[in-house]
Order: sequence, then structure tokens, then C-alpha cells
Amino acid sequence: MTEQPPTELRDWLAPLADALIPAEDGMPAAGQLGAAGAQLDLVLDARPDLLRHLTRAYALTGGMSPAEALSTLPGLDPAAHAALLEAVAGGYYAHPEVRELIGYTGQQPVPVRVADFPEYLAEGLLERVLERGPVYRAVD
Amino acid sequence: MEHTEVLIVGAGASGGVAAGRLAEAGFRVVCLEQGHWPDRDSYPAARPTYELEARRRWSGSPNVRGLAEDYPVEDSASDVAALMYAGVGGSMILYAADWPRLLPSDFRTRSLDGVGDDWPLSYPELAPFYERTDRAFGVAGLGGNPALPEGADPPLPPLPIGAGGLRVARAHDRLGWHWWPAPNAVLSAPYQGRNACAQYGSCMQGCPEGAKASTDVTHWPAAIEAGAQLRTGARVSRILTNAAGLATGAEYVDAEGRWQVIGADVVLLAANAIGTARLLLNSASPRFPDGLGNSTGLVGRRLMVHPFANVLGYFEDRVDSYVGHVGAKIVSYQFYETDTSRGFSRGAKWSLAPTGGPLTSALPTRAGSSTWGPGHHRHVREHLGHTVSWAIFGEDLPDEDNRVEIAPGLTDSSGIPAPRIRYRVGENSRALLDFNIARATESLVEAGAYRTEYESLMRYSGWHLLGTARMGTDPATSVTDPYGRLHDVPNVCVLDGSVFPTSGAVNPTSTIVALALRATENLIANRRDQRTAA
Repeated sequence: MTEQPPTELRDWLAPLADALIPAEDGMPAAGQLGAAGAQLDLVLDARPDLLRHLTRAYALTGGMSPAEALSTLPGLDPAAHAALLEAVAGGYYAHPEVRELIGYTGQQPVPVRVADFPEYLAEGLLERVLERGPVYRAVD
Repeated sequence: MEHTEVLIVGAGASGGVAAGRLAEAGFRVVCLEQGHWPDRDSYPAARPTYELEARRRWSGSPNVRGLAEDYPVEDSASDVAALMYAGVGGSMILYAADWPRLLPSDFRTRSLDGVGDDWPLSYPELAPFYERTDRAFGVAGLGGNPALPEGADPPLPPLPIGAGGLRVARAHDRLGWHWWPAPNAVLSAPYQGRNACAQYGSCMQGCPEGAKASTDVTHWPAAIEAGAQLRTGARVSRILTNAAGLATGAEYVDAEGRWQVIGADVVLLAANAIGTARLLLNSASPRFPDGLGNSTGLVGRRLMVHPFANVLGYFEDRVDSYVGHVGAKIVSYQFYETDTSRGFSRGAKWSLAPTGGPLTSALPTRAGSSTWGPGHHRHVREHLGHTVSWAIFGEDLPDEDNRVEIAPGLTDSSGIPAPRIRYRVGENSRALLDFNIARATESLVEAGAYRTEYESLMRYSGWHLLGTARMGTDPATSVTDPYGRLHDVPNVCVLDGSVFPTSGAVNPTSTIVALALRATENLIANRRDQRTAA
């Protein structure tokens, strides 16, 4: 079972997540969607290695405001800062509501369909490539 | 002691090809693979955390993954980090499946341009093997590309080039520049019992459909059916030699951690240009004090990795480039051949690549930046589905100072000494990349990009591991003969990219497997003349 972060780390993370990904442009803030709750659990289940770095980030910036923490951490511990970004953004963009809002349709199995006569042939693009001749050097 | 006719070290691209052909020809074959069989059900493609997992468990870097079957590569003194995968199928499990061939001039860079070295074979000699391996792996592409001599068409039609590919193709039409639908070792239709591409867009973290070619699906099942034995979790520590200087087999540690020795008439090394060099160097003995096959001192030297740059274009319209195969939508060889007026030798191949999903839009792994706080959502919307990237592979001229060594004090999880790489981008490569970045930017602007960004050298790009046991006809200046056989130890043959005398400027897997098939056919044809320790 994945190691769980302590409550105080979750409490520290939630406002930082909102500062990194705020509510704006019709999108919810990261904290609203569980950046320090269910999405963090999802992230740590996939990436348990991140907890070690998050714990360090919390230890280094736990008493600071979100703005101060986010401006200070990169200089103190770049790896911990990188883990913070991965954990917050990783949880946010794994959320189905976010995926729907941004219109992300990837990672779905859609059988490939090869066109009999793709547009590039219909437009004669390859004919003109061929008319321009070889682009390799002949070697004796 | 157990004995086999042929021992293969590594079950990746070249090892799989050799095992399949040798087993078919009736040889007793044992392959030792340090990794395991991939489990397609474990691939992350369909999981919402796919992009997070791609940055750790499914990273191309053994140092990042840190799995027990990986060996560490000390790369702190290297401009480029080495990427690979340990398992049946090898690095093909995570490669993009871009499947270009070398061009004729790549085999003659010394004669034509006064740089690098000529290969001891030519494009026409290798072409029949390219055609055979294209069929075996199920390559999708379009024949007639004027960047190559005429030959057989790929067995399957090309994959869709997508909205981004079409947009850039039209731009090259206006510029009068070369482009062509890219060849990929990804099925565009069902083929030999395998499914066609399902367009997950996750080729580089394992293909859950089995549509991307890798030897675990294309070669090993038939090889095993024909009698080849494949042992996973089996890590070779050294090749053993007798007083006559011939290989007698190998020492390895098995999946249960027990040290074993297996005898062999012939040993084939298929462990990539870092792993093979590491094994040769670790096989030093009183008779071969500098490592096996290393009387020239060239084992491990001349490491080439293809310095890699990329240029990103942002478009107002959606191009949905996260859908479909990852390798390349279209390619361009417009600036591949030497033009001395540019101030450098040789050139680059361009592959138009997708740019990933939402997490990669927020945290780009290629060119691009991040925005946090106000403006974050706009930044992601501008990137996601609205960008394409020209991936630029530059010719990497051989330099003896770029090398693989044994790292003092560093071992893998079995205690076997691990490698260190030292690789610096040379002046020619830097000038070459800068020129091509500028041209690729022009390409994307012509295609309608309202903004471009570039990465002048991508550190985590060292997939193309080449040159550390170069082939040649002269034992004084090369490690192997033209068929990969060590000049010093004639019953050891190198099958992987180590043998490349020069790098070319294309993804090397199609050439590696064509060379491996050629070397294997040579072994079979000359079996009666093969010297062995027995």
C-alpha cells in the first residue's frame, strides 16, 4: 500500500496548489479538485517517489505563505520544487472534469484509418516533391 | 557444464533478429536477458496518470527508472544522458518507432566529405536486408521517397500524417523543400497476427496494442517456437576465454541470484553500444588486459548519440498532435547532405513529432516553458493540441574522447561494474544544429506558427547509442570485421549499434536490425569455417 502523507502536509499543499493553478478562465483551481486530497492519493499511487520530495518541500517552506514558498523553494531545493509541480499538475490534469473542460481526447483507443487517397495526394504535394528530384547524393 | 552453440547477450532489437534467424536455421540458441518479459497490460497508456508515470517508471533513463534489472550509467560528465530499456524487446519497448534508413552518402563520409570514416559496406549491399527487416517488423510507409534510391516499398501504407503534418507539408510545398510521409515500425493495418495502431499516442511508454514493432512481439515468439531458449533476469558479467584467445562462454547471474557459467561455441553481443562496451571492458583477463577485443584501445571510444534539438510551433487552429503514433508524421531531408557553404559537414534529418498531453503542456519535456499562477490555463490551452515539433537529428561525427568506460566504484544490483559515459557535443555538431534550428523555425513560421520556441540540445535524448566497437577491414583501426566479428576473438560477434563507424543522421534501429540480419546470415553461411573453443 502506498505510504500516505500526513495531514499537515496536505494542509500545506492545498493553498500552494491553488496558487500554482488558480481558478481562472472558466477552469477550477487545483485545490477545488482535490490537489491535496483524492488527486494527491492518485498521484502518489502512481508516483510514490514524489512523497519523499514533497516531505522535504514541506519541511523547507511549511511556515511560509504560498507566494513566499513558491518563490523560495526553487533556490533551496530544485528537486523538491519539481516534485511539487509534478504532483499538483499531475493530479489536476488526471481529473476527468479538467480533461473535459480542456477538450482533451487523447489516450483513447481509436483504430487507425488509412485513407485511400489522403489530402496530400489529392493536392499534388508529393508530385511536386518528386518533380524537384532526388535530395540524396549518388555514391559510386 | 551447460553448453550451447550460440549464446546471445541481450533480447532486444538485434538479439531478437539473430535468435529468430538462427533458431529457424536449426542452431541451438540460448539468449540471456537481464530484464523481463514486458507485460502489455501494465503499460500506462490508458491510465489518467500516464504522463506522470512516463516521467519515472516508464522513463527512458535507467537512472530515473532505477529498476533492479537496470544498470546505472554515470553520466555527470556527459552533455547527453543515455536512454535504454532492459527487457525482452529491449529499447524498442520505449522507442518511437521512427524507421528511416541511412542514405548512401552515410556509408562514405570520408570519401565524400573528408570527415568520419567510410563503412566497409555500401547502401546497395545493405538494401536487401533493410527490405527483409521492413517486412519482418511490419513497416508502414510510402515508397518512392526521393531521399533514397529506388527499392521495394514498405509492406504497409503510411500512417496518417495528421492536421499538423498536412499543414507543414503544404508549407514545404511553398518553400520548395523536401518532405515525405514518415516510415514507422507501427502497423497501419493488421499484419501477421498483430493489431493495427489504436492511436493512444503513447508509443514511448509501451504500445498496449502490440502495433508498434518490438522483438517481443515480432521475433521472439517464433524464435522460441523454433527452439531458442530465452532466459530473463539473467545478467552477464563477463565473456570467458581460453588460452587460445577464443571465447568459451559467459558468466552470468540468474533470476534467483545464483552465479552460473554457460559454454558456447559462438557468443553474440546485442546489449547496445553502452552495454556491449561495458561487457567487453569487464571481460578483461591476463590475456586481454584492456578488455576483450580491445587491442586497438577503441572499445568504448567513438560513442555517438545524435545530438538532438527541437523546434516547437504554436498554431491558432487545433492540430491534435497528441493523437496517433509518436515517431514521426512527416520527415524532411532537405538539409541532410553536406553543403560546404553552411560552414559544417554533413547534415540533419527532421521528424515532425507530436507534443504530448496536458501534463506535458504544463511541464514541457522538449522546447517550451511553464506558466504558474495567473495565465496558467491560457498557457496550457495554447500548447495542448495546438503545437507540433520538428525533431532534429544531427550527424554525430566520431570522436575518440567521447566514450564508455567502467565507472570506478559503481555497480549494478548484482555487483557488476557499471559504465560511465563522457560525451561532448562537437563544434561541427553545434554549428549543424544551429543552422537546422533556424531552418526548422522558418518551416513552422511558413506553416502558420504564430510563435516558435526551440531547445538547442535536449539532454534526455540519448537513445541512439552507436560506435563503441566500430567495424572495419583493418584490425589496427577497428574492433570488428565488416560482419561484427571481433578481430581479436573470432568467435565473438557484435550485433548492435556499437559497430557503426559513423552515425548518419537518422534513427538507427532499422539499420541496426538490418546489420544484425546480415551478420547472422554471414555466420550461417560460414558455419563450417567458424573457429570455436571446442
